[in-house]
Amino acid sequence: MSNNLCDLSQSNEYLSFRSSIPLRKIDVDADGFKVWKIFDSGPKSVTCPLICLPPVSGTADIFFQQVMGLASRGVRVIAAEPPPYWNIKEWCDGFKRLLDYLELDKVHIFGASLGKWICSPKVYRINKELSKILCNTFTDTSVFEYNDSSALFWLLPSLVLKRMLMGNFTAEKVERRIADSVDFMVERVESLTQSELASRLTLNCTPCYVEPQSLHDIPITIVDVWDESALSSTVREDLYKSYPHAKLAHLKSGGNFPYLSRSDEVNLHLLIHLRQFDGTALTSSYLSLHKMPPHNQLQSDEGTVSFFNQRDKFVKIS
Amino acid sequence: MSSRKKVLLKVIILGDSGVGKTSLMNQFVNKKFSNQYKATIGADFLTKEVIVDDRIVTMQIWDTAGQERFQSLGVAFYRGADCCVLVFDVTAPNTFKSLESWRDEFLIQASPRAPENFPFVILGNKVDLDNRAVSAKRAQQWCQSKNDIPYFETSAKEAVNVELAFQTIARNALAQETEAELYNEFPDQIKLNANDNNRNRDGDNCAC
Repeated sequence: MSNNLCDLSQSNEYLSFRSSIPLRKIDVDADGFKVWKIFDSGPKSVTCPLICLPPVSGTADIFFQQVMGLASRGVRVIAAEPPPYWNIKEWCDGFKRLLDYLELDKVHIFGASLGKWICSPKVYRINKELSKILCNTFTDTSVFEYNDSSALFWLLPSLVLKRMLMGNFTAEKVERRIADSVDFMVERVESLTQSELASRLTLNCTPCYVEPQSLHDIPITIVDVWDESALSSTVREDLYKSYPHAKLAHLKSGGNFPYLSRSDEVNLHLLIHLRQFDGTALTSSYLSLHKMPPHNQLQSDEGTVSFFNQRDKFVKIS
Repeated sequence: MSSRKKVLLKVIILGDSGVGKTSLMNQFVNKKFSNQYKATIGADFLTKEVIVDDRIVTMQIWDTAGQERFQSLGVAFYRGADCCVLVFDVTAPNTFKSLESWRDEFLIQASPRAPENFPFVILGNKVDLDNRAVSAKRAQQWCQSKNDIPYFETSAKEAVNVELAFQTIARNALAQETEAELYNEFPDQIKLNANDNNRNRDGDNCAC
């Protein structure tokens, strides 16, 4: 059976992630229906963690390289996967309950192609957001084209929904790391249920008015990939215009899932983003992100690939 | 390779602490200069759109910390660099002597495909000061000995040659980028067959 798993699922880092960090299921409504799945890593004393939210096609574990990579810098990272929510209000209520349950004061959000709605005023009013990193809104942007039919998603069979999503995945003529990330995501899509897929697609196709002004007072970094498989440049330009004050972290290549295919670069941008809160009450790490961690913390187990853990790759200048 | 495709150029600035790396970047990107010295802590970057030979390109300029103890970001920021700018202070000979080791350091960390042809640009900064200690001739000689690296004498404070230097940096970076892309026309072999479980053991430098 394991032979059929893709390379990333069999990689040492993924296995080490799954064996060291438990998947927690949190029933926020206590009715057994709305269960968030989370991986919570790092010191619980940090109450302003980085929360990673997956795209339509993803599960919480797609952020394993962020969790593992940033853990060595003392950052508390929570990869969270929502249960099926069918509208933005439901999602917001659920998210707020999750944060309350976890006793978090404020959070930094790393949103991977979540669609426009994540920036809607309703989400903003949760009022626990400190900063945001937005990454590659490609997959979902193209799904926006289904606006008219979105009302029907709930009754489409999962096979059809999966086809809709996977139609966006390019696997031709790409380099290995990108191909691996696509394989990994295909596996995640396959694991999703009909209601998970249908609700996420519905949510993403919900028309919503975004008031960029409302976001002007929080720091935003936009991570985007400039290769052909990802966002069209018009979509990117629109995104920049919506957030004129955002820090733009462009990657040359990486495909649609750079957190998997370019995890070290994405982690670097996450670190640079989070670093601005160093030494304040809003920091996401118990260590200073400006300084190199002491060497004993870098004693990596085999299976951790993020560059943070690779001692010999640190810059040493004599 | 379509010429319409937007180009991202990654430029890395290296040099001893206090030579003016951050000031040069700020002068170029924001047209600002401050006399106040503040050590850069950890690498950071700014982006700027420039026009090179009628093409709009986006430069992502990485400023680094000259002091070792702040070098906390690892190799990811060297990856995919298109040009490396080495800066020294014309009033401080030691910073000039360090150029060699900065250059070596860069080549080791970034490991570009053709190290001997990788574009570097040398900037002798602070020419506005009187107490000059490294002559232009000496700097030029060194640059010539290193495969004719372009050399500019700059002043971030008085915006002398900054624009010109970065134009050259952008042009050389663009040439490098274009070349790198030609290589990418021949991507690694991809096996889409999930049954082939040998492939993550090929000793590729991928993260597996």
